[in-house]
Amino acid sequence: MIEFVNSVANGVLIGLLYALVAMGFVVIYRASKVFNFAQGELIVFSAFLMWAVVIDRQLPLWIGLPVTFIGAAICGYVLDRLFLSRLVGESVFSMVMITVGLLILMRGLIIIIWGAETRAFPVVFPLRPVIVGDIIMSQALVIGGVITIVLAFGLSWFFNHTRTGLALTAVSEDQQVALSLGISVRKSMSLAWIIGALISAIAACVYLSGRSLNLHAADIAFAALPVALLAGLESITGLIVAGALVGVAQSLAQYYLDPWLGLNIASVVPFILILLILLIRPSGLFGWKTIERV
Amino acid sequence: MALLPSGVFAESYAADRALVRTGKQWVALGLFVAFLFVLPLIFGTRLTAIGNGILITAIVVVGLQITMGYAGQITLGQAAFMGVGAFAAAALARAGAPFWLCIPLGGVAAAVFGLLFGIAAARIKGFYLALTTIAAQFVFQLAIVNLPTDLFGGSHGLSVPAASIGSLRLTTETSIYYLNLIVCIIMVCGAFGIVRSRYGRAFVAVREDDVAAGILGINVVGAKVLAFLIGAFYAGVGGALWASYIRFISVEQFTLFNSIWMIAMIIIGGIGSIVGAIVGSVVVRGLQELVTALGPVLNEVFPAFGGQLVFAGMNLVLGGLITFFLIVEPKGLMHRWNKLKQAYRLWPYPHA
Repeated sequence: MIEFVNSVANGVLIGLLYALVAMGFVVIYRASKVFNFAQGELIVFSAFLMWAVVIDRQLPLWIGLPVTFIGAAICGYVLDRLFLSRLVGESVFSMVMITVGLLILMRGLIIIIWGAETRAFPVVFPLRPVIVGDIIMSQALVIGGVITIVLAFGLSWFFNHTRTGLALTAVSEDQQVALSLGISVRKSMSLAWIIGALISAIAACVYLSGRSLNLHAADIAFAALPVALLAGLESITGLIVAGALVGVAQSLAQYYLDPWLGLNIASVVPFILILLILLIRPSGLFGWKTIERV
Repeated sequence: MALLPSGVFAESYAADRALVRTGKQWVALGLFVAFLFVLPLIFGTRLTAIGNGILITAIVVVGLQITMGYAGQITLGQAAFMGVGAFAAAALARAGAPFWLCIPLGGVAAAVFGLLFGIAAARIKGFYLALTTIAAQFVFQLAIVNLPTDLFGGSHGLSVPAASIGSLRLTTETSIYYLNLIVCIIMVCGAFGIVRSRYGRAFVAVREDDVAAGILGINVVGAKVLAFLIGAFYAGVGGALWASYIRFISVEQFTLFNSIWMIAMIIIGGIGSIVGAIVGSVVVRGLQELVTALGPVLNEVFPAFGGQLVFAGMNLVLGGLITFFLIVEPKGLMHRWNKLKQAYRLWPYPHA
């Protein structure tokens, strides 16, 4: 029984981390209708920047964190200006492929700048685990979970109650209409990419705190995909529920199915979930519109 | 429709639909095919090996062009389809099936696997479909690693018996080249036939607007499923040839990264053109060879990077090409070539 409770608790925490990563997808998707496949590389970019400042240059964390966040924001802005803003109104194919191209381009650049070897990531959150009764949880993930929930509600409030946020929401409803209402779609897209990049920097800190960092850190974006799809790609608070569901499913599969089947099912659970979600309910649990059907 | 050379008029429907219209074009085509046949005799083994890579890639990419360029179904799983063909053909060859049967059966196996995702395309489209086909990549990997090791080799990979036709064993680079060339010519002719048939026109109609296509009486779901079936069949045939050429296959040869390379070939060559797919394969494979060949030189110039420079260079070339072409020349090299041809035929007039 205690294993079950432990699995569920840690599943929820992992799920909240996925939700944090997925939040980057959602913010960018809402503003520009672009599904950013390069989100994982944004996380790796922020992480390497952090490593370069805190470990390589031996600067304290209170300098490293702002530098990382500013660097990530600039990166998001530059990506939007250089690539995405030129393709507004192009076909879905171009939009999908440009971010796939960016994924590969960024990976190449990261290797050229920093190299591909595995290295240590600074300890952002204390390493001591949180123990409640018999449940043992990673402190980084617990703090990360709280950040995710606060951020989700904060962003949700921002999108629904502030002038800028409402403009972004209008853009995500319909770019043409937003444009005719005098909203600058360009500025909204840039802002969304900056927010998306900042979220990926936060996700990098939560995910990698005190762990080792290499190019495979980008894989978490693929694991977070089903969370974004399950929530429906437009809902931010829905990500919390979707994240918890996916995380628990994966954690339980890891604990109960893997020893029984003798193979690593847990690692493909996200992709099986993607297939199921797309085939059964493509608009997710909290999505706005039904996906165009034939 | 591109402009015709002056003085060429179609007097029958057959002449109007002909691909090769003038005597000069026939001569050029004949010379080109003859060149392909004597290529291994003129150039050394190294270039023949590159030629083999290009021919196999061209078959797979032509298939991708049918699914993606003609029918408009975004596929990020072509390498997985190729892998299914390769592993099926290899398992059949190890079981003692004759070689000439392994290649089409490899294609059929891949087509069945592709069919699963074609059925998904009946329900979802656009970027959601792209996600589903990414899942194909992971399903393939999981399946091969966990299927019986004595049949498919598991994670260690699978060695493949040499190709043989009758008593003739195809083991040298040159003999494999002729096999690949002949299969490639058959497959490319088949592709031209498919895209000009009623099915090909149905694909284009579905790509442009599937609701309108449905109103015109086209079976939209059928067309999408068929497009996946054909594209995966091409990938499977290419995979089967690859297995008998490389003689050792493993899941690492058929990753998402490879699928993205193939899409890059389509983008660069020109989307919606069979010739474009071939041009893209040649250009991109050529660039890959160039980066690989330059690798040791670069390593000497920048020793600090160790052995990562080739991998990083490949990434930069691939990512750079995709983003550059999407922004600057989204219709690819074939579009540029057609414009050039048109300008030449109109010269000295600026407009038609």
